[in-house]
Amino acid sequence: MDGLDILLKKIIRSGTGRKRFFMAVTGLSVAMLLILAAVQIQANYNDLLHSKSNQDSIANFLVLNKIINDRNLGATALTDNDINDLKKQVFVESVGLLTPSRFKASIQSASERFPFFTDIAFESVPNDFIDVTSKDWKWDENARFVPIIAPNMFLDFYNFQFSFSQNLPQLTHEVVKMIVFKINMYGPTGLVSFNGRVVGFSDRISSLLVPQEFMNFGNTQFGKNQDIKPSRVIIRTKDPGNPALVNYLKEKGMTTDADKTRFSRYRQVVDIVVNISWITGAVMLVFALLIFTLFIQLTIASCKEEIFLLITLGASPKQLQRFLMRQFFPVNILIISASLLIIAGLQYYIYNSLVKQNISVDPFPSYLTLLTAVGVLIIIWQVNRVSVRKYISLPGKN
Amino acid sequence: MTIELNQLMPIPLKDRLQQRSSDVWNTSLVFHQGEFIKIKAPSGTGKTTLVHIIYKLRHDYDGRVLFDNIVTAGLQENALAEIRQQKISIVFQDLRLFSNLTGWENIELKRVLQTPFYTTDIIDDMANTLGVSHILQQKAGLCSYGEQQRIAIIRALIQPFSWLIMDEPFSHLDKANTKKAAALIETECRKRNAGFIITDLDDDVNFIYTKEYIL
Repeated sequence: MDGLDILLKKIIRSGTGRKRFFMAVTGLSVAMLLILAAVQIQANYNDLLHSKSNQDSIANFLVLNKIINDRNLGATALTDNDINDLKKQVFVESVGLLTPSRFKASIQSASERFPFFTDIAFESVPNDFIDVTSKDWKWDENARFVPIIAPNMFLDFYNFQFSFSQNLPQLTHEVVKMIVFKINMYGPTGLVSFNGRVVGFSDRISSLLVPQEFMNFGNTQFGKNQDIKPSRVIIRTKDPGNPALVNYLKEKGMTTDADKTRFSRYRQVVDIVVNISWITGAVMLVFALLIFTLFIQLTIASCKEEIFLLITLGASPKQLQRFLMRQFFPVNILIISASLLIIAGLQYYIYNSLVKQNISVDPFPSYLTLLTAVGVLIIIWQVNRVSVRKYISLPGKN
Repeated sequence: MTIELNQLMPIPLKDRLQQRSSDVWNTSLVFHQGEFIKIKAPSGTGKTTLVHIIYKLRHDYDGRVLFDNIVTAGLQENALAEIRQQKISIVFQDLRLFSNLTGWENIELKRVLQTPFYTTDIIDDMANTLGVSHILQQKAGLCSYGEQQRIAIIRALIQPFSWLIMDEPFSHLDKANTKKAAALIETECRKRNAGFIITDLDDDVNFIYTKEYIL
């Protein structure tokens, strides 16, 4: 501190209004914590929602179909109008048609060691809607086998019901992926067989999926009705719990996996928590700033005569402003740094506890949190500067 | 720096001052740098008012004050501060020291308000000359008027200036001390090639004045 500051500190005592000062500091600290926490929660939440590694855990893919009732039995196909209308809705990001197989098919074991046989039907969907990444997920007429994605539900059904009733062994994902079986397709020219293998499991669509190329091939070669409309579509949406989406489905007599829309309620709770946190934080920030401004005003008012004399003797308002800012502002940097440290600690703790549950969030605070901290610091600096400048000029104008 | 007074007339004293003649009010005067100006002013003729108008503490007047042809009424606060730090120093009649600072701190404040003109040992030298070394570490509020007045004079002399404005600067000093103070003031003004404007109630022989006016 230079000589002038030491003297100014003796002249302009900030002793008055200590209580207000501590109130402002406390308020500011709580406000900062709330605001930064809100931003960090939002950032984590966006991270979970949009990052590739976590995308599958969120129910933003919905399979839609018409509700089957007495009147529309056998007429559940979705018209072009239905689909185009769906594409136009704001809550729909993209629409994929689910193509059902229109040929009779069955699968059976390739070896006698593990005999099974069942009639079966497939569905296919554009690759963008598939959450299984496998290098084997492709097919052409020269391929050695047909890759299949099976719903987890199917394996659960086998492992926990079927295997017990038939006295068969339980199977893991890995074992199932190793089993090669035969796919029989019955067409006008007779039976054609392919080798098939499960390449992945998914929770997203509850049917046996084959590559679109294989489906097109099968439907052209062996299908009976060539122009059947799709009955089911898959949509990608940001928020399955969007009331507009739920209302739209209701209005159009369509339905989807109710569990997924229910899950989205939790997301809305997160939204509400985030909103409450940052709104409370913002309101507290405003009040804290107000108290801080009052504190500045009081300090300056209590030294009105001294400031007037300083200006009379030739102290420039700029000098006094600089001095007062050095008195008032550093505590704010301290508050914000401390809040950031606490948030960083919490974030690291959250990271550690979630990593055990295979949910990955960043171990460090988001850059948005840092930006917010800097932003709030700039706001506080500006408010301090304006109030110092305003109240400094009052005694000088006598 | 030249100081120019142009048809000055303080509004609150207008009625009274218009009824009598004055060398200063309602005329035009130019003071050139280096001149020693004495303004003799009987009580109630607006002596302190004049000092405050020149130093730009008051704005309730007709006419203009110009520093180097710049009208002071239009000066912004920061520009005015610059002038008070570099060009014009002042000894107030009412001294205006910070009573809770020591004498030394009062002087030091004015020394470091701008890039220092003198080092701190000059404070001690001047205090020695004026015989106030022993009260430098005492709170100014506890000093006698005579001591405070000498502190105020040293404070005014510690900074750079082209003009020194003094409002009855020796009112609390005896003859011996007045002589010492006047000598110090003259030395410091000559050093800077600066002038001064001094106001007092009576005639005196403390300085050889360039110009003398009756307010």
